[in-house]
Amino acid sequence: MRRTLAILFIFLTSLFTLSAAAQDTTTLRWSIEGISDVVSLDPARATDAQGFMVIGLLHAGLVRLNADLLVEPDLAESWTISEDGLTYTFTLREGAAFSDGTPITSADVVWSLTHALDPNTGAWTGPYLLSNIAGSAELVGGETTELSGVTAVDERTVQITVKQPSAYFLSQLTFGPSKIISSAAVEANPDSWDQASVTSGAFSVQAWNRGQGLVLIPNPNYWQPASQISQLDIVFNQDSETAYQLYRTGELDIMGGAQNPIPSARVPEVQDSPDFRSTNAFNVRYVAFNNELAPFDDVRVRQAFAHATDRETLANIVLAGTVVPTDRILPPGIPGSEVDVEGLAFDPEQAQALLAEAGVDPVSLEITLTYGVEGDNERIVTVLQSMWQENLGVTVNLEPLELSTFSSRLNDTFNDPANGLQAYFSVWGTIYPDPQYFLSQILQTGVGNNNGHYSNAEFDALTQEADVITDAVDQRLELYNQAEQIAVTEVGWLTLFNGQVNVLVRDCVEGVDVTGLFSAYVVPDFSALRGCPAA
Amino acid sequence: MFALILKRLISLPFVILAVTFLTFIVGYFAPGDPILNLMGNQRDQAIYERLRTLYGLDLPWHEQYLRYVVGLLQGDFGLSYRFAQRPVIDLIRDGLPVSLLLGLNALLFSLALGVPLGVLAALRHNTVIERVIMALILALYAVPSFVLIPLLQWLNYQVYLARGSALPAAGWGRPEHWIMPTIVLAAASLGYIARITRASMLETLGQDYIRTAQSKGLRWSRIQWVHLFRNAILPILTVVGPAIAFLVTGAFVIETLFSIPGIGFLSVEAISQRDYPVIQGTTVILALAVVVMSLITDLLYVVFDPRIRVNA
Repeated sequence: MRRTLAILFIFLTSLFTLSAAAQDTTTLRWSIEGISDVVSLDPARATDAQGFMVIGLLHAGLVRLNADLLVEPDLAESWTISEDGLTYTFTLREGAAFSDGTPITSADVVWSLTHALDPNTGAWTGPYLLSNIAGSAELVGGETTELSGVTAVDERTVQITVKQPSAYFLSQLTFGPSKIISSAAVEANPDSWDQASVTSGAFSVQAWNRGQGLVLIPNPNYWQPASQISQLDIVFNQDSETAYQLYRTGELDIMGGAQNPIPSARVPEVQDSPDFRSTNAFNVRYVAFNNELAPFDDVRVRQAFAHATDRETLANIVLAGTVVPTDRILPPGIPGSEVDVEGLAFDPEQAQALLAEAGVDPVSLEITLTYGVEGDNERIVTVLQSMWQENLGVTVNLEPLELSTFSSRLNDTFNDPANGLQAYFSVWGTIYPDPQYFLSQILQTGVGNNNGHYSNAEFDALTQEADVITDAVDQRLELYNQAEQIAVTEVGWLTLFNGQVNVLVRDCVEGVDVTGLFSAYVVPDFSALRGCPAA
Repeated sequence: MFALILKRLISLPFVILAVTFLTFIVGYFAPGDPILNLMGNQRDQAIYERLRTLYGLDLPWHEQYLRYVVGLLQGDFGLSYRFAQRPVIDLIRDGLPVSLLLGLNALLFSLALGVPLGVLAALRHNTVIERVIMALILALYAVPSFVLIPLLQWLNYQVYLARGSALPAAGWGRPEHWIMPTIVLAAASLGYIARITRASMLETLGQDYIRTAQSKGLRWSRIQWVHLFRNAILPILTVVGPAIAFLVTGAFVIETLFSIPGIGFLSVEAISQRDYPVIQGTTVILALAVVVMSLITDLLYVVFDPRIRVNA
């Protein structure tokens, strides 16, 4: 009995010491909303903003984005670009190592980029973002198993050849599929390496509690000095309100994201708090019209609908100023958005005149606006419906679709416009801050996301020219500006407003920047990352 | 009794087969496309086609279904589309114990409170006590969880403001995580169990054998335990069996709003993502749970009611 008591006593005191020791260290508790779990810790297989955020903490790439969202060195200490803009030569940092201490070599870079494009990986982010690398199509198509555009020149030198010069190629290299994985770790654990016990970035995984979160610890081998926190708890909350409840009862240090901000009903409660951070999101809500179907094949009809839309009322009254109205495509903060574009102002008379000019009788015109059921969408389309009915005298039907059905209808519209949607309301956000992602990627004739089939030869020529300019920044942005003006005047998209990223970051947390990117947060310098002292 | 078990066991595979077929065919004809969901904005027709082939979605429906059933017979539930081809059985293995624990907690809690409340209400028939209990029970039964949860969260926040610490608002792992979701999940079944108990007690109280026992001069406490409860418990058993199956899977909203990594949450997410293998896997598990629970209920009937034993 006495022995049992003694053991119990020792056990209890050791428990006490353990918990006392735990209090000396700082844990940063970071909530990620909208998911119950990350899809994979394999950088090539991450698919959503939340996944990219976690990958960014665990894995490093050749380059990364800094606080101003400009490309800066990460695992590569420097690089040169050939005169013709087609060959990038990266030099890896001396002494760069994975979290298990093995050196990061050019062979790992070749392996990682090949892995991202390998059809056996079953991923699509790599094929999408890295399509400019020479030989990517052949690898993706299964014609070859090697990526001809990426070669290891020596231990620390990697050469990447691209198909066409591009000002945003380096930006594309800052995301998920371009992160560097240890090929040795993959070979050692072909089945479980994607639990990411070996990483190249600022943190490595101590535990992955499926469906709940990740426990991360600093990677001592990362090239930057380690952060001031001893543990980073990533907590998954499907629902933003749940995360908010945890935050306000002191269980979280960071919450909110670009896609899942603080619940809008909670914003008035917190907007005066020092923890509240708000910034312009790099996204835009818009209505796209099916340019292959009457009546929206006529530019005057599209213009009439644009002139009949009162964006100010929509943004400032209906949505209570939680968003910023816009009549252009580039969101504020994206390079090129400093140069003005002349939008189509709210003008019901002009709208009616344009409709008459197009020979459309408003009384007999009946159109359908389709949208995905999510967030404030219902409220927004109802307002659009009444604005158009009132200002144009047309009949507008609303078609709500569950999100999954909506995306499949968009795909149908892309493949078979004659049987597609007539008009739809949706959102577009960016993974890298470049006008190309907002113009070339969506409104060039026939590109994958041009579901409305907008087509203008001059727009195509201007954006194609701008896409391959790498040195003359001003000239490039000028070309994009001319292209954007054409798309705005011809209503390639009827843009409505830009969203806001509203998040909560505890006052004592340092080193975390909130940006308009779809993964919202950037940690520009991991050594400056600080958490709150334990309560 | 053995005939009963045998009958149930024979029908089990057919029930499961029917369930898999229904979930498959509903999913197949439902609008929406899992691959498009996965790819989001990054759409590229060639990659899309390749992924459809990779996941076997380009096959005609009967081949897809056959593949699934053959896999199922070998204990293979298939691979999740969304979770980077993770085996569905792994996802279920992670989620099921959590849901079971939560469901069991809720069941015990609702029985521990519901039965005594129902008994008390019946024994104090036509008094203020009964009316108060009945009002409370009706309220618990009627208030939906999406009303109860914010209310509890608000109360919890008030406690936090006053004391500087409170129950965890969400999450899973420590026993204190169990408290709020258990209360919410138990609320409805608590009300239901209490109502059934009261009704059953009242009915039994009016039986002749109770009056006979009283007239024999037996002590009331003995009548209560031996004659009253044993007979009144049968209808409660009928609801408990299916209630367990429901508790395991009926926690959809609760698991989502409390960030609990259970199976209900998993299936809701799978539906919105069109992750068919996961939807089918969780549905099969649910069907199994319902069949097994009703079998157990039938067996308990036999134990508690000798008349059934004779007839069987």
